[in-house]
Amino acid sequence: MIKIKPNELKVIAQYIYDISGIHLDQSKSYLFETRLSSIAEELGCNSYQDLYHKAKKDVSKKIEHKIIDAISTNETLFFRDKGPFELMQHKILPEMIDARTPSSAALKTNIKIWSAAASTGQELYSIAIVIKELVNDLSKYNFKLLGTDISDNAISQASYGKYNKFEIERGLDRKILQKYFTLFGDSWKIKDEIRGMVNFRKYNLMQSFAALGKFDIIFCRNVAIYFTLNDRKQLFNRIADSLADDGFLVIGSTESLTGVCPRFVPKRHLRSIFYQKK
Amino acid sequence: MKNLTILVVDDDPVIRRLLQQRLAKEHYEVTIAEDGHVAESLLEQHHYDVVLTDLMMPGGIGGIEVLEIAKQLHPKTEVVLITAHSSVDSAVEAMKKGATDYLEKPINFDELFLRLDKISNLQTILKSAQDLEQAMTVTESAASETIQNLEIEIARKQELLEQLEKVLLDHTLAEDERIEQALSKLSEI
Repeated sequence: MIKIKPNELKVIAQYIYDISGIHLDQSKSYLFETRLSSIAEELGCNSYQDLYHKAKKDVSKKIEHKIIDAISTNETLFFRDKGPFELMQHKILPEMIDARTPSSAALKTNIKIWSAAASTGQELYSIAIVIKELVNDLSKYNFKLLGTDISDNAISQASYGKYNKFEIERGLDRKILQKYFTLFGDSWKIKDEIRGMVNFRKYNLMQSFAALGKFDIIFCRNVAIYFTLNDRKQLFNRIADSLADDGFLVIGSTESLTGVCPRFVPKRHLRSIFYQKK
Repeated sequence: MKNLTILVVDDDPVIRRLLQQRLAKEHYEVTIAEDGHVAESLLEQHHYDVVLTDLMMPGGIGGIEVLEIAKQLHPKTEVVLITAHSSVDSAVEAMKKGATDYLEKPINFDELFLRLDKISNLQTILKSAQDLEQAMTVTESAASETIQNLEIEIARKQELLEQLEKVLLDHTLAEDERIEQALSKLSEI
Protein backbone atom coordinates (compact mmCIF):
# COMPACT_ATOMS: atom_id res chain seq x y z
CA MET A 1 0.00 0.00 0.00
CA ILE A 2 1.34 3.43 -0.96
CA LYS A 3 1.80 5.63 2.12
CA ILE A 4 0.37 9.12 2.00
CA LYS A 5 2.79 11.92 2.89
CA PRO A 6 1.69 14.68 5.27
CA ASN A 7 2.02 17.36 2.58
CA GLU A 8 -0.19 15.32 0.23
CA LEU A 9 -3.04 14.99 2.72
CA LYS A 10 -4.17 18.58 2.42
CA VAL A 11 -4.11 18.59 -1.39
CA ILE A 12 -5.93 15.25 -1.71
CA ALA A 13 -8.49 16.11 0.99
CA GLN A 14 -9.28 19.38 -0.79
CA TYR A 15 -9.52 17.60 -4.16
CA ILE A 16 -11.92 14.96 -2.78
CA TYR A 17 -14.00 17.70 -1.21
CA ASP A 18 -14.12 19.62 -4.51
CA ILE A 19 -15.28 16.65 -6.57
CA SER A 20 -17.66 15.06 -4.06
CA GLY A 21 -18.36 17.34 -1.08
CA ILE A 22 -17.10 14.53 1.15
CA HIS A 23 -15.02 15.79 4.03
CA LEU A 24 -12.29 13.32 5.00
CA ASP A 25 -10.55 13.94 8.29
CA GLN A 26 -6.89 14.69 7.51
CA SER A 27 -5.82 13.12 10.79
CA LYS A 28 -7.07 9.76 9.49
CA SER A 29 -4.50 9.11 6.79
CA TYR A 30 -5.47 5.40 6.66
CA LEU A 31 -8.84 6.42 5.18
CA PHE A 32 -7.05 7.90 2.19
CA GLU A 33 -4.66 4.98 1.85
CA THR A 34 -7.21 2.15 2.11
CA ARG A 35 -9.50 3.78 -0.42
CA LEU A 36 -7.10 5.25 -2.96
CA SER A 37 -4.03 3.05 -2.88
CA SER A 38 -5.30 0.46 -5.36
CA ILE A 39 -6.33 3.15 -7.87
CA ALA A 40 -2.90 4.77 -7.58
CA GLU A 41 -1.16 1.42 -8.09
CA GLU A 42 -3.39 0.49 -11.00
CA LEU A 43 -2.47 3.74 -12.76
CA GLY A 44 1.22 3.23 -12.04
CA CYS A 45 1.46 6.23 -9.71
CA ASN A 46 4.18 6.19 -7.08
CA SER A 47 2.57 8.86 -4.90
CA TYR A 48 -0.81 10.45 -4.23
CA GLN A 49 0.52 13.71 -5.62
CA ASP A 50 1.09 11.81 -8.87
CA LEU A 51 -2.47 10.40 -8.76
CA TYR A 52 -3.83 13.88 -8.17
CA HIS A 53 -2.02 15.30 -11.21
CA LYS A 54 -3.15 12.39 -13.40
CA ALA A 55 -6.74 12.86 -12.28
CA LYS A 56 -6.64 16.61 -12.92
CA LYS A 57 -5.20 16.09 -16.41
CA ASP A 58 -7.72 13.38 -17.38
CA VAL A 59 -10.29 15.14 -19.55
CA SER A 60 -12.45 12.01 -19.75
CA LYS A 61 -12.85 12.29 -15.94
CA LYS A 62 -12.55 8.51 -15.66
CA ILE A 63 -10.02 8.79 -12.85
CA GLU A 64 -12.18 11.30 -11.01
CA HIS A 65 -15.15 8.91 -11.20
CA LYS A 66 -13.01 6.05 -9.92
CA ILE A 67 -11.90 8.15 -7.00
CA ILE A 68 -15.50 9.09 -6.19
CA ASP A 69 -16.52 5.42 -6.34
CA ALA A 70 -13.69 4.51 -3.98
CA ILE A 71 -14.35 7.30 -1.51
CA SER A 72 -18.12 7.09 -1.28
CA THR A 73 -19.38 4.47 1.14
CA ASN A 74 -21.85 2.14 -0.50
CA GLU A 75 -22.87 0.42 2.68
CA THR A 76 -26.58 -0.17 2.40
CA LEU A 77 -29.16 -2.85 3.07
CA PHE A 78 -32.64 -3.70 2.01
CA PHE A 79 -34.95 -2.32 4.68
CA ARG A 80 -31.94 -0.93 6.59
CA ASP A 81 -33.40 -0.37 10.08
CA LYS A 82 -36.99 -1.50 9.87
CA GLY A 83 -38.15 1.83 11.39
CA PRO A 84 -38.28 4.10 8.32
CA PHE A 85 -40.14 1.51 6.24
CA GLU A 86 -42.74 0.86 8.96
CA LEU A 87 -43.03 4.63 9.16
CA MET A 88 -43.69 4.73 5.41
CA GLN A 89 -46.26 1.96 5.59
CA HIS A 90 -48.23 3.10 8.61
CA LYS A 91 -47.88 6.86 8.67
CA ILE A 92 -46.24 8.68 5.78
CA LEU A 93 -47.78 6.89 2.78
CA PRO A 94 -51.37 6.75 4.10
CA GLU A 95 -51.23 10.46 5.03
CA MET A 96 -49.64 11.45 1.75
CA ILE A 97 -52.16 9.42 -0.26
CA ASP A 98 -55.01 11.14 1.63
CA ALA A 99 -53.47 14.55 1.04
CA ARG A 100 -52.81 13.99 -2.67
CA THR A 101 -55.96 12.13 -3.75
CA PRO A 102 -57.81 14.50 -6.09
CA SER A 103 -61.55 15.09 -5.64
CA SER A 104 -62.25 13.88 -9.17
CA ALA A 105 -62.04 10.12 -9.51
CA ALA A 106 -60.83 10.59 -13.08
CA LEU A 107 -57.53 12.06 -11.88
CA LYS A 108 -54.55 10.17 -10.53
CA THR A 109 -52.85 10.61 -7.17
CA ASN A 110 -49.38 12.09 -7.82
CA ILE A 111 -46.67 11.41 -5.26
CA LYS A 112 -42.96 12.13 -5.76
CA ILE A 113 -40.36 10.41 -3.63
CA TRP A 114 -36.61 10.99 -3.57
CA SER A 115 -33.90 8.78 -2.14
CA ALA A 116 -31.09 11.35 -2.05
CA ALA A 117 -28.22 8.96 -1.34
CA ALA A 118 -29.54 5.91 -3.14
CA SER A 119 -26.23 4.04 -3.23
CA THR A 120 -26.85 0.67 -4.92
CA GLY A 121 -30.62 1.10 -4.81
CA GLN A 122 -31.74 -1.06 -1.90
CA GLU A 123 -33.47 1.82 -0.09
CA LEU A 124 -35.50 2.95 -3.09
CA TYR A 125 -36.49 -0.61 -4.04
CA SER A 126 -37.51 -1.21 -0.42
CA ILE A 127 -39.73 1.90 -0.62
CA ALA A 128 -41.20 0.69 -3.93
CA ILE A 129 -41.95 -2.71 -2.35
CA VAL A 130 -43.68 -1.01 0.62
CA ILE A 131 -45.82 0.97 -1.85
CA LYS A 132 -46.69 -2.13 -3.87
CA GLU A 133 -47.63 -4.03 -0.71
CA LEU A 134 -49.76 -1.14 0.56
CA VAL A 135 -51.48 -0.12 -2.69
CA ASN A 136 -51.87 -3.23 -4.75
CA ASP A 137 -53.59 -1.60 -7.69
CA LEU A 138 -51.29 1.17 -8.84
CA SER A 139 -53.49 2.26 -11.77
CA LYS A 140 -55.01 5.16 -9.85
CA TYR A 141 -51.61 6.40 -8.74
CA ASN A 142 -48.70 8.11 -10.32
CA PHE A 143 -45.76 7.40 -8.05
CA LYS A 144 -42.46 8.91 -9.17
CA LEU A 145 -39.51 7.41 -7.32
CA LEU A 146 -36.09 8.93 -7.92
CA GLY A 147 -32.80 7.65 -6.56
CA THR A 148 -29.62 9.72 -6.84
CA ASP A 149 -26.05 9.01 -5.89
CA ILE A 150 -22.66 10.49 -6.65
CA SER A 151 -21.06 7.15 -7.56
CA ASP A 152 -21.30 5.88 -11.16
CA ASN A 153 -20.80 2.30 -10.01
CA ALA A 154 -23.53 2.54 -7.41
CA ILE A 155 -25.99 4.05 -9.89
CA SER A 156 -25.30 1.42 -12.52
CA GLN A 157 -25.79 -1.41 -10.04
CA ALA A 158 -28.95 0.25 -8.75
CA SER A 159 -30.31 0.63 -12.29
CA TYR A 160 -29.57 -2.99 -13.09
CA GLY A 161 -31.30 -4.12 -9.91
CA LYS A 162 -29.24 -7.28 -9.49
CA TYR A 163 -27.91 -8.32 -6.08
CA ASN A 164 -25.69 -11.18 -4.99
CA LYS A 165 -26.66 -13.63 -2.28
CA PHE A 166 -24.79 -11.70 0.41
CA GLU A 167 -26.62 -8.48 -0.39
CA ILE A 168 -29.94 -10.37 -0.58
CA GLU A 169 -29.53 -12.12 2.73
CA ARG A 170 -29.15 -8.88 4.59
CA GLY A 171 -32.54 -7.49 5.44
CA LEU A 172 -34.83 -9.22 2.95
CA ASP A 173 -37.22 -11.80 4.25
CA ARG A 174 -37.95 -14.91 2.22
CA LYS A 175 -41.53 -13.97 1.33
CA ILE A 176 -40.54 -10.58 -0.10
CA LEU A 177 -37.54 -12.11 -1.88
CA GLN A 178 -39.66 -14.76 -3.63
CA LYS A 179 -42.37 -12.26 -4.50
CA TYR A 180 -40.30 -9.43 -5.94
CA PHE A 181 -37.02 -10.97 -7.13
CA THR A 182 -36.11 -13.56 -9.74
CA LEU A 183 -33.21 -15.93 -9.29
CA PHE A 184 -30.69 -14.97 -11.96
CA GLY A 185 -27.69 -17.29 -11.94
CA ASP A 186 -26.10 -16.86 -8.55
CA SER A 187 -27.82 -13.51 -8.03
CA TRP A 188 -31.31 -12.13 -7.65
CA LYS A 189 -32.83 -9.54 -9.94
CA ILE A 190 -35.63 -7.20 -8.96
CA LYS A 191 -38.81 -7.90 -10.94
CA ASP A 192 -39.86 -5.49 -13.68
CA GLU A 193 -43.02 -4.42 -11.84
CA ILE A 194 -40.79 -2.89 -9.10
CA ARG A 195 -37.94 -1.87 -11.42
CA GLY A 196 -40.44 0.03 -13.55
CA MET A 197 -41.53 2.15 -10.58
CA VAL A 198 -38.11 3.74 -10.01
CA ASN A 199 -35.50 5.86 -11.76
CA PHE A 200 -31.88 6.41 -10.89
CA ARG A 201 -29.51 9.16 -11.89
CA LYS A 202 -26.10 10.39 -10.89
CA TYR A 203 -26.26 13.52 -8.79
CA ASN A 204 -23.90 15.38 -6.50
CA LEU A 205 -25.68 16.66 -3.37
CA MET A 206 -23.53 19.80 -3.50
CA GLN A 207 -25.32 20.81 -6.72
CA SER A 208 -28.53 22.83 -6.82
CA PHE A 209 -31.72 20.74 -6.57
CA ALA A 210 -33.80 23.16 -8.63
CA ALA A 211 -33.72 20.83 -11.67
CA LEU A 212 -35.23 17.96 -9.68
CA GLY A 213 -38.50 19.73 -8.83
CA LYS A 214 -40.48 19.36 -5.60
CA PHE A 215 -40.90 16.14 -3.66
CA ASP A 216 -43.55 14.90 -1.26
CA ILE A 217 -41.26 12.50 0.57
CA ILE A 218 -37.47 12.69 0.85
CA PHE A 219 -35.15 10.05 2.31
CA CYS A 220 -31.68 11.46 3.03
CA ARG A 221 -30.13 8.90 5.30
CA ASN A 222 -26.54 8.42 6.42
CA VAL A 223 -24.91 10.67 3.86
CA ALA A 224 -24.75 14.09 5.53
CA ILE A 225 -22.48 12.57 8.18
CA TYR A 226 -19.68 12.73 5.60
CA PHE A 227 -20.11 16.49 5.13
CA THR A 228 -18.86 19.44 7.17
CA LEU A 229 -21.39 21.11 9.48
CA ASN A 230 -21.58 24.07 7.14
CA ASP A 231 -22.31 21.88 4.10
CA ARG A 232 -24.84 19.91 6.15
CA LYS A 233 -26.66 23.15 6.99
CA GLN A 234 -26.78 24.14 3.34
CA LEU A 235 -27.84 20.65 2.25
CA PHE A 236 -30.85 20.47 4.56
CA ASN A 237 -31.78 24.05 3.75
CA ARG A 238 -31.90 23.12 0.04
CA ILE A 239 -33.78 19.93 0.91
CA ALA A 240 -36.35 22.10 2.71
CA ASP A 241 -36.70 24.12 -0.52
CA SER A 242 -37.26 20.90 -2.49
CA LEU A 243 -39.86 19.47 -0.11
CA ALA A 244 -43.60 20.21 -0.37
CA ASP A 245 -44.94 22.24 2.58
CA ASP A 246 -46.75 19.20 3.97
CA GLY A 247 -43.99 16.80 2.85
CA PHE A 248 -42.00 14.33 4.94
CA LEU A 249 -38.26 14.05 5.47
CA VAL A 250 -36.59 10.92 6.84
CA ILE A 251 -32.94 11.02 7.93
CA GLY A 252 -30.63 8.31 9.32
CA SER A 253 -31.65 6.89 12.67
CA THR A 254 -28.52 8.20 14.40
CA GLU A 255 -28.55 11.58 12.66
CA SER A 256 -29.87 14.83 14.11
CA LEU A 257 -31.00 18.13 12.63
CA THR A 258 -30.53 20.04 15.89
CA GLY A 259 -28.32 23.00 15.11
CA VAL A 260 -28.41 22.03 11.43
CA CYS A 261 -31.74 23.16 10.03
CA PRO A 262 -34.27 25.15 12.09
CA ARG A 263 -36.81 24.90 9.27
CA PHE A 264 -37.62 21.29 10.22
CA VAL A 265 -39.41 19.98 13.33
CA PRO A 266 -38.98 16.39 14.47
CA LYS A 267 -42.12 14.32 15.04
CA ARG A 268 -42.42 10.91 16.59
CA HIS A 269 -44.40 7.97 15.28
CA LEU A 270 -44.04 4.77 17.32
CA ARG A 271 -40.30 4.11 17.49
CA SER A 272 -39.21 6.35 14.65
CA ILE A 273 -39.01 10.04 13.96
CA PHE A 274 -39.55 12.00 10.81
CA TYR A 275 -39.34 15.70 10.02
CA GLN A 276 -41.76 18.20 8.60
CA LYS A 277 -41.36 21.83 7.73
CA LYS A 278 -42.34 24.36 10.41
CA MET B 1 -17.73 -32.93 14.22
CA LYS B 2 -16.76 -30.52 11.45
CA ASN B 3 -18.82 -27.40 11.18
CA LEU B 4 -20.57 -28.25 7.90
CA THR B 5 -23.82 -30.07 7.27
CA ILE B 6 -23.84 -31.83 3.91
CA LEU B 7 -26.64 -33.28 1.81
CA VAL B 8 -25.38 -35.92 -0.62
CA VAL B 9 -27.65 -36.58 -3.61
CA ASP B 10 -26.77 -39.48 -5.91
CA ASP B 11 -28.79 -42.24 -7.55
CA ASP B 12 -25.84 -44.66 -7.56
CA PRO B 13 -25.94 -46.61 -4.25
CA VAL B 14 -22.21 -47.40 -4.40
CA ILE B 15 -21.13 -43.77 -4.76
CA ARG B 16 -23.71 -42.74 -2.15
CA ARG B 17 -22.34 -45.18 0.41
CA LEU B 18 -18.76 -44.26 -0.41
CA LEU B 19 -19.42 -40.54 0.00
CA GLN B 20 -21.32 -41.09 3.22
CA GLN B 21 -18.54 -43.19 4.73
CA ARG B 22 -15.68 -40.93 3.68
CA LEU B 23 -17.42 -37.71 4.75
CA ALA B 24 -18.53 -39.23 8.06
CA LYS B 25 -14.97 -40.38 8.66
CA GLU B 26 -13.87 -36.77 8.28
CA HIS B 27 -16.56 -35.90 10.85
CA TYR B 28 -18.93 -34.04 8.57
CA GLU B 29 -22.63 -34.28 9.36
CA VAL B 30 -24.02 -36.12 6.33
CA THR B 31 -27.56 -36.72 5.08
CA ILE B 32 -28.27 -38.93 2.08
CA ALA B 33 -30.86 -38.60 -0.69
CA GLU B 34 -31.21 -41.30 -3.36
CA ASP B 35 -32.72 -39.00 -5.97
CA GLY B 36 -33.80 -35.44 -6.74
CA HIS B 37 -37.30 -35.89 -5.32
CA VAL B 38 -36.01 -36.99 -1.92
CA ALA B 39 -33.50 -34.13 -2.03
CA GLU B 40 -36.31 -31.68 -2.75
CA SER B 41 -38.40 -32.76 0.21
CA LEU B 42 -35.35 -32.71 2.50
CA LEU B 43 -34.42 -29.20 1.30
CA GLU B 44 -37.96 -28.04 2.01
CA GLN B 45 -37.53 -29.01 5.65
CA HIS B 46 -33.85 -28.46 6.43
CA HIS B 47 -31.01 -26.11 5.75
CA TYR B 48 -27.71 -27.66 4.68
CA ASP B 49 -24.42 -25.78 4.37
CA VAL B 50 -23.44 -27.83 1.32
CA VAL B 51 -25.37 -29.87 -1.22
CA LEU B 52 -23.18 -32.37 -3.04
CA THR B 53 -25.17 -33.66 -5.98
CA ASP B 54 -24.71 -35.84 -9.02
CA LEU B 55 -25.39 -33.93 -12.22
CA MET B 56 -27.16 -36.69 -14.16
CA MET B 57 -29.96 -38.41 -12.28
CA PRO B 58 -33.09 -40.12 -13.56
CA GLY B 59 -36.62 -39.18 -12.52
CA GLY B 60 -37.10 -35.60 -13.71
CA ILE B 61 -35.07 -33.84 -11.01
CA GLY B 62 -31.40 -33.86 -12.02
CA GLY B 63 -28.44 -32.03 -10.49
CA ILE B 64 -29.31 -28.71 -12.17
CA GLU B 65 -32.84 -28.86 -10.74
CA VAL B 66 -31.48 -29.74 -7.28
CA LEU B 67 -29.20 -26.71 -7.61
CA GLU B 68 -32.12 -24.47 -8.50
CA ILE B 69 -34.30 -25.78 -5.68
CA ALA B 70 -31.48 -25.34 -3.16
CA LYS B 71 -30.78 -21.76 -4.33
CA GLN B 72 -34.47 -20.80 -4.23
CA LEU B 73 -35.00 -22.15 -0.74
CA HIS B 74 -31.63 -21.37 0.83
CA PRO B 75 -29.61 -18.65 -0.92
CA LYS B 76 -26.70 -19.33 1.46
CA THR B 77 -26.31 -23.02 0.64
CA GLU B 78 -23.27 -23.94 -1.46
CA VAL B 79 -23.87 -26.51 -4.20
CA VAL B 80 -21.07 -28.75 -5.53
CA LEU B 81 -21.83 -30.94 -8.55
CA ILE B 82 -20.40 -34.33 -9.31
CA THR B 83 -20.06 -34.98 -13.00
CA ALA B 84 -18.73 -37.43 -15.51
CA HIS B 85 -15.87 -36.10 -17.62
CA SER B 86 -18.13 -36.10 -20.68
CA SER B 87 -20.56 -33.62 -19.09
CA VAL B 88 -18.06 -30.99 -17.94
CA ASP B 89 -19.75 -28.48 -20.25
CA SER B 90 -23.04 -28.81 -18.42
CA ALA B 91 -21.17 -28.47 -15.12
CA VAL B 92 -19.78 -25.15 -16.34
CA GLU B 93 -23.34 -24.12 -17.25
CA ALA B 94 -24.34 -25.05 -13.70
CA MET B 95 -21.61 -22.82 -12.31
CA LYS B 96 -23.23 -19.93 -14.15
CA LYS B 97 -26.46 -20.83 -12.39
CA GLY B 98 -24.81 -20.47 -9.01
CA ALA B 99 -23.05 -23.77 -8.30
CA THR B 100 -19.93 -23.22 -6.20
CA ASP B 101 -17.83 -25.89 -7.83
CA TYR B 102 -17.83 -29.23 -9.63
CA LEU B 103 -15.91 -32.45 -9.22
CA GLU B 104 -15.20 -34.96 -11.96
CA LYS B 105 -15.79 -38.68 -11.50
CA PRO B 106 -14.07 -40.72 -10.22
CA ILE B 107 -14.14 -38.55 -7.12
CA ASN B 108 -10.75 -37.53 -5.80
CA PHE B 109 -11.46 -37.29 -2.07
CA ASP B 110 -8.46 -35.09 -1.27
CA GLU B 111 -9.82 -32.61 -3.76
CA LEU B 112 -13.32 -32.85 -2.27
CA PHE B 113 -12.05 -32.27 1.28
CA LEU B 114 -9.99 -29.31 0.10
CA ARG B 115 -13.06 -27.68 -1.43
CA LEU B 116 -15.13 -28.37 1.66
CA ASP B 117 -12.40 -26.74 3.77
CA LYS B 118 -12.56 -23.66 1.57
CA ILE B 119 -16.34 -23.50 1.93
CA SER B 120 -15.99 -23.91 5.66
CA ASN B 121 -13.42 -21.08 5.88
CA LEU B 122 -15.64 -18.82 3.84
CA GLN B 123 -18.60 -19.57 6.09
CA THR B 124 -16.51 -18.78 9.18
CA ILE B 125 -15.57 -15.39 7.70
CA LEU B 126 -19.20 -14.73 6.78
CA LYS B 127 -20.30 -15.67 10.26
CA SER B 128 -17.90 -13.19 11.86
CA ALA B 129 -19.04 -10.51 9.42
CA GLN B 130 -22.62 -11.23 10.46
CA ASP B 131 -21.67 -11.09 14.13
CA LEU B 132 -20.00 -7.74 13.57
CA GLU B 133 -23.02 -6.48 11.71
CA GLN B 134 -25.29 -7.59 14.52
CA ALA B 135 -23.10 -5.89 17.11
CA MET B 136 -23.19 -2.75 14.97
CA THR B 137 -26.98 -2.92 14.71
CA VAL B 138 -27.35 -3.21 18.49
CA THR B 139 -25.03 -0.24 19.05
CA GLU B 140 -26.75 1.73 16.33
CA SER B 141 -30.23 1.13 17.67
CA ALA B 142 -29.19 2.11 21.20
CA ALA B 143 -27.54 5.27 19.86
CA SER B 144 -30.51 6.12 17.68
CA GLU B 145 -32.92 5.79 20.60
CA THR B 146 -30.83 8.23 22.65
CA ILE B 147 -30.42 10.66 19.76
CA GLN B 148 -34.09 10.56 18.80
CA ASN B 149 -35.21 11.17 22.40
CA LEU B 150 -32.84 14.12 22.63
CA GLU B 151 -34.01 15.43 19.26
CA ILE B 152 -37.67 15.42 20.37
CA GLU B 153 -36.82 16.85 23.80
CA ILE B 154 -34.76 19.69 22.34
CA ALA B 155 -37.55 20.53 19.89
CA ARG B 156 -40.04 20.63 22.79
CA LYS B 157 -37.80 22.93 24.83
CA GLN B 158 -37.19 25.12 21.80
CA GLU B 159 -40.93 25.51 21.33
CA LEU B 160 -41.40 26.45 25.02
CA LEU B 161 -38.56 28.97 24.81
CA GLU B 162 -40.25 30.58 21.84
CA GLN B 163 -43.54 30.78 23.77
CA LEU B 164 -41.62 32.20 26.75
CA GLU B 165 -40.12 34.90 24.55
CA LYS B 166 -43.58 35.74 23.20
CA VAL B 167 -45.00 36.08 26.71
CA LEU B 168 -42.12 38.30 27.86
CA LEU B 169 -42.52 40.56 24.83
CA ASP B 170 -46.32 40.72 25.11
CA HIS B 171 -46.88 44.33 26.14
CA THR B 172 -50.64 43.91 26.30
CA LEU B 173 -50.07 42.03 29.56
CA ALA B 174 -49.25 43.72 32.86
CA GLU B 175 -45.68 43.20 34.06
CA ASP B 176 -46.56 40.88 36.94
CA GLU B 177 -48.85 38.88 34.68
CA ARG B 178 -46.01 38.47 32.17
CA ILE B 179 -43.68 37.29 34.92
CA GLU B 180 -46.28 34.87 36.26
CA GLN B 181 -46.94 33.34 32.81
CA ALA B 182 -43.24 33.26 32.04
CA LEU B 183 -42.56 31.39 35.28
CA SER B 184 -45.24 28.87 34.46
CA LYS B 185 -43.68 28.30 31.00
CA LEU B 186 -40.26 27.99 32.63
CA SER B 187 -41.53 25.29 34.96
CA GLU B 188 -42.49 23.18 31.92
CA ILE B 189 -38.96 23.36 30.61
